[in-house]
Amino acid sequence: MSEPKQLLIIDDDPDFVAGIKAILVKAKYAVDTAYNPKDGLSALKAKNYDLLLLDVMMGRGAEGIMIARKLGKDPKLRELPVLIITGIREQMAFLFPGQAVHPHFVDVDELVEKPVAPKLLLEKVEALLKTSETRKAKSK
Amino acid sequence: MRPEHEILVIDDEEVVLDSCTDVLSSSACQVLTAGNGAEGLKRLEEARPDLIFVDLKMPGLSGLEVLERIRAKHPLMVVIVITGYATVSSAVEAMKKGAFDFLPKPFTPEELRLIAKRGLEHNRLVQQTIALRREKEMLRENFAAIVSHELKSPLGALQQNLFALSAELEDKLSEEQKQRFERLSVRLEDLVKLIHSWLRILSVDISKLKETFQPVALPVVVSKAVETVQPHATRKAIEIQPTLAEPLPTIHGDEGSLVEVMVNLLGNAVKYSHPESKVAVRVQAQGAEVLLAVSDTGVGITTEDMTHLFQDFGRGQKQPEGVSGAGLGLAISHRIIEVHGGSIGVESELGKGSTFTIRLPVKPAAADSSPDSQRKV
Repeated sequence: MSEPKQLLIIDDDPDFVAGIKAILVKAKYAVDTAYNPKDGLSALKAKNYDLLLLDVMMGRGAEGIMIARKLGKDPKLRELPVLIITGIREQMAFLFPGQAVHPHFVDVDELVEKPVAPKLLLEKVEALLKTSETRKAKSK
Repeated sequence: MRPEHEILVIDDEEVVLDSCTDVLSSSACQVLTAGNGAEGLKRLEEARPDLIFVDLKMPGLSGLEVLERIRAKHPLMVVIVITGYATVSSAVEAMKKGAFDFLPKPFTPEELRLIAKRGLEHNRLVQQTIALRREKEMLRENFAAIVSHELKSPLGALQQNLFALSAELEDKLSEEQKQRFERLSVRLEDLVKLIHSWLRILSVDISKLKETFQPVALPVVVSKAVETVQPHATRKAIEIQPTLAEPLPTIHGDEGSLVEVMVNLLGNAVKYSHPESKVAVRVQAQGAEVLLAVSDTGVGITTEDMTHLFQDFGRGQKQPEGVSGAGLGLAISHRIIEVHGGSIGVESELGKGSTFTIRLPVKPAAADSSPDSQRKV
């Protein structure tokens, strides 16, 4: 296998992050973590990640959403596949009234609910990385 | 500093304005005056009095018109009309249009003070009610968000780490240890479910369930519920005995919430039963209804408790040792069954046990758009 894929998790609950990170590390991913939007954004600028795992409900909603919006507006960052992690679906529907439950912030994203079973997590991550690579190959 | 109260008096007679000001003014109460209806309405644009007196008979805008315009703009404003000619009919007309009370002219200072005091008190109650209602609404609206964040986040983190740990330790754990991990997960999940049901009763409209009704097979409901409650029963060596009088008709409803109801009833039966006893579940068709009965031989319920058993937070007085619960289960169950067009009742004898009976209509009360779908499953 080639270089390990670089993943970034942005979530304000360190314990939750630990539970996600362990699963990903075991699956041979290189995982960085950020526990607030500010660190998260500077990490995204400092390094090229292959995938972002983002808790959109961070800080009661607004902060995670803010990152998601920023990503969507940034021409480079919107290429980054995002696995959106959320507390409950109803809240997403509440925050994005009239939209599908899955908000699609960026070109390639997927939604999972907390907590996420290891198998599902790895499947989603893999699928997102694959989709993103196919897209990149096509655009070249 | 703004005085505690502001009273606006609208009257074309200067002597009335003056005497009202004299009688009602104090350090705690400021009296604003207006010599006619138009002026009075204008004053209302900048001031927000606690109470308004309006003379019914004025040149220009009549008192009734002023009253109507005030109430249209400020529906909760407390307005007292002053009736120059003591005819009951005009006062009645004003009361119909929303006046709080009327004051016949001529009046004594004592009468004025008294009626003003009552008006202010009424206003205070109205304001208090509005504030409480607003608070309740806000609580209700925010409840889902708050509870979900504050309670579910830690549970989510716990669950996530259990997942991770059991994946990490997969090769090292014995079968028995793996099972314990599994049990931990299940218990956590139960807790999350419990939070959901609290959320449901406090912030979600259960009647919305109707929108997604589907044909439901009751044997499935019973077996799922028994499965959920079984571990608790086993711990107390209680035997759950289901009797299904087949064939049973399919009913139209929401399977998940019906299971929730049965879990509540069975869970209660186990909770309030003596160890090593039996809990019976009986399901049978009866005319146009299906009966689901859960019987225990436990502590029973007092007549007094039975009256508020299905209300929110209505736990019985008679609690066996070590029993805990918020008393929401039956209230939720009641609402769920109501939405299904059914009823739930209880018979109980203290010290002998209780039987909860659910009656569900076989045909839904409302016309079903797809009668064929009911026969499938």
